[in-house]
Amino acid sequence: MDTGLALQARDVRMEYVDQATGERLLAVDRVDLDIVEGQFVSIVGPSGCGKSTFLKIVNGLFPASEGTIEIRPAAQGVAHAMVFQDSSLFPWYTIVDNIAYGLVCQGVPRKEARARAKPLIDLVSLTGFEKKFPYQLSGGMQQRANLARALTVDPEILLMDEPFAALDAQTRELMQAELLRIWSEASKTVLFITHQIDEAIYLSDRVLVMSARPGRILADITIDLPRPRRLEIKRSPEFIEYADRIWGLISTQLRPESPVAAAS
Amino acid sequence: MSVAVTSRPQAPGQRGPLGRILDNERLLLGLSGVIIILVLWEIGSRAGAIDRGFFGRPTGIVEAGIKEVQTKRFWGDLTASVSEFGIGYLLAIGLGVPIGLAAGRFRRLQYALDPWLNFFNSLPRIALLPVLVIMFGVFGPASKIAVVFLGAFFSIVIPTMQGVRTTDRRFLDVARSFRASERLRFRSVVIPSTVPFIITGLRLGIARALIGVVTAELYTQTEGIGVLIRRATELRQGDRALFGVLLFTISGVIGVEAIRRVEARFQKWRPTTSLERR
Amino acid sequence: MVQTRTLVHRGHPGRRSHKFPRRGERLLFGLIGFVVVLPLWEIVVQAGLIKRVTLSSPSLIATAAVNDLFIKGTLWPHLFASSQYFVLGLGLALLTGVPLGLSLGLFRRLNFFLDPWLSAIYATPTIALVPLIVLVLGLGLESKIFIVWLEAIFVVVVSTMAGVRAAEARYLDLAKSFRASRWLMFQSVIVPSSFPFILTALRLGTTRALVGVVVAEFFSANKGIGFFINFSGTTLRTDRVMLGVIILGLLGVAMGEGVRRIERRYEKWRPDIN
Repeated sequence: MDTGLALQARDVRMEYVDQATGERLLAVDRVDLDIVEGQFVSIVGPSGCGKSTFLKIVNGLFPASEGTIEIRPAAQGVAHAMVFQDSSLFPWYTIVDNIAYGLVCQGVPRKEARARAKPLIDLVSLTGFEKKFPYQLSGGMQQRANLARALTVDPEILLMDEPFAALDAQTRELMQAELLRIWSEASKTVLFITHQIDEAIYLSDRVLVMSARPGRILADITIDLPRPRRLEIKRSPEFIEYADRIWGLISTQLRPESPVAAAS
Repeated sequence: MSVAVTSRPQAPGQRGPLGRILDNERLLLGLSGVIIILVLWEIGSRAGAIDRGFFGRPTGIVEAGIKEVQTKRFWGDLTASVSEFGIGYLLAIGLGVPIGLAAGRFRRLQYALDPWLNFFNSLPRIALLPVLVIMFGVFGPASKIAVVFLGAFFSIVIPTMQGVRTTDRRFLDVARSFRASERLRFRSVVIPSTVPFIITGLRLGIARALIGVVTAELYTQTEGIGVLIRRATELRQGDRALFGVLLFTISGVIGVEAIRRVEARFQKWRPTTSLERR
Repeated sequence: MVQTRTLVHRGHPGRRSHKFPRRGERLLFGLIGFVVVLPLWEIVVQAGLIKRVTLSSPSLIATAAVNDLFIKGTLWPHLFASSQYFVLGLGLALLTGVPLGLSLGLFRRLNFFLDPWLSAIYATPTIALVPLIVLVLGLGLESKIFIVWLEAIFVVVVSTMAGVRAAEARYLDLAKSFRASRWLMFQSVIVPSSFPFILTALRLGTTRALVGVVVAEFFSANKGIGFFINFSGTTLRTDRVMLGVIILGLLGVAMGEGVRRIERRYEKWRPDIN
């Protein structure tokens, strides 16, 4: 694997057997992907196209049927860590215990883990909420804790599975800006999955467009917008151009019955 | 033609006098319900309409109670009942929780135990008394403890098992993604999310254990508060009998309250605790 | 040269993950208990390690079963008597309990008024009242039906009440916005919402009623399955005792399963329990 690459995926396929019908179905079909260290890469695609599945394969939760994924080992810390969709903080742990959980899983004693989690808590602006329980936090704050938990184990690659999907529109926008701020301070490589084209363009250096199931990469679009990016950038002509392009690609993937697909 | 929509403006967050009355309504009505029935009962008894030998009367029950606690026999009975309850219940917890956790964890163990658990849970446990008495004898606490144990055990095992089986997959996925070991997964995800179920089991177990105590004592008739009730009934001492019944009622209430305290302590992380009043 | 960590997955597509249970596993392991326990039981008793009178043995119980169920048919009158008490007591409990539960659920004030007493009686083991009940009502049919009724009614009332409370506020608000009368709201929102809970009431009531029947028969009867078990116990016919217990347990399981099936049919109506 080339130096400078954080992740290299070749020829990843994933096949599974539908429990109900017994058919063999293909979830992910030949994905090749290179991610440079420090890049922010998003994958967008229609529902059920396999993008989340691909992420879970990278994370090791699912086994791929074929193909290889190489991740550069970290000098310290782990290869990758995942930020889940909402409601994945343990309700019975305090925020600090939740954030320290990744370290505890590695065998770090609890006290030390909590101490190491502290700077991350500050980074995501949750100082003061350490002893609270998840139910006492808003959706946006819970996702920040989620993010901190993943960052605490110092991963080479941060995997994010539609982390803002359950937030309301305004909180979502704010969290996107927050994420960029945190990302620039933590300087991680990120693989980000989302439905929302705007979100993908705003956040990423590259946007990969995935086809409908079985998922393939249709396009790999480099986003050439200057950083740091403010939310206003979403209304700039360049941004809108990217959005149109990607939307054009995706709408070809939508189901034929949908009126939008028929119109394009 | 215009339709006038009238509504009284009310400042948000402010409860009018009506609101305050409503809060106390439950207390007032409840209290009055208690008092009215007690008074009717007392009057009915004194007037001869309600047979005292059968039903006793409120003041009579208090008198009988006072007399009873001064006898030595009463304390012997009480100790017997309490110890039967205590030992049986604690044994049920000691065996029920681990077995429930194990059965939840190992699917095959659950399959093997299911028919038996199902059977014994559907069976009125009083039916086991003759067997238990033959096994452990009529005298002594053994047969009674066995009944208490069996009553509470199934109430505890089954919910515990269900708690483990219904652990939310999402949390297990999180643990797995951080490479938590099997043991850590169990400790940090399964057990905390099973605790509410265990507590439900404990609550049910108390009721079943109390029923076990009375049942066993009424059947074997050797000693205990249950025997006090039976003796008093046979002697047409309604006051005394109901005093005995009252003791069980109070135990039930204390038990439920104790579980609620335990629940509050273990479930600080929940936004709303169990709303059951019964 | 930077060492890379490679995640190479070479799974076999199409092979079932070992995590998913095979169809027959449940049955297979379910039977293990019997396959192990029954022979062991037989051997232990035959070898004299446990007295015959203590636990009886599968063969003796089977013999008693054949005798009492088929050849001499001594068990049937008892079963018939028990089912009488059961049906009458449970039926009464449902007929009185459901309306009471609905009323208590609807009329909050009535609920507050009666609550302390109902809670107190609910918290008391019903069996503690049995000597009193037998004393007052005698040894006949009435006392047995009363005991069964008493056992079953509380769960029926509590479940039905929960059903009324579960009627979702938003459906009620909807009805109110269309100016539905109280009666119409009752018919169109509350009753259907309560229906699954009434089924739960039926299931729980059935279990309690069975307990009530046995309890009543233990203390005041000369027939019925409870009496059969008790009497056989007193005469040290442990084989008959076990037979009675097994039949009772199977009845309980069968009834519970039966009601559960009915519940499942209507499961989709069940409103979310918060």
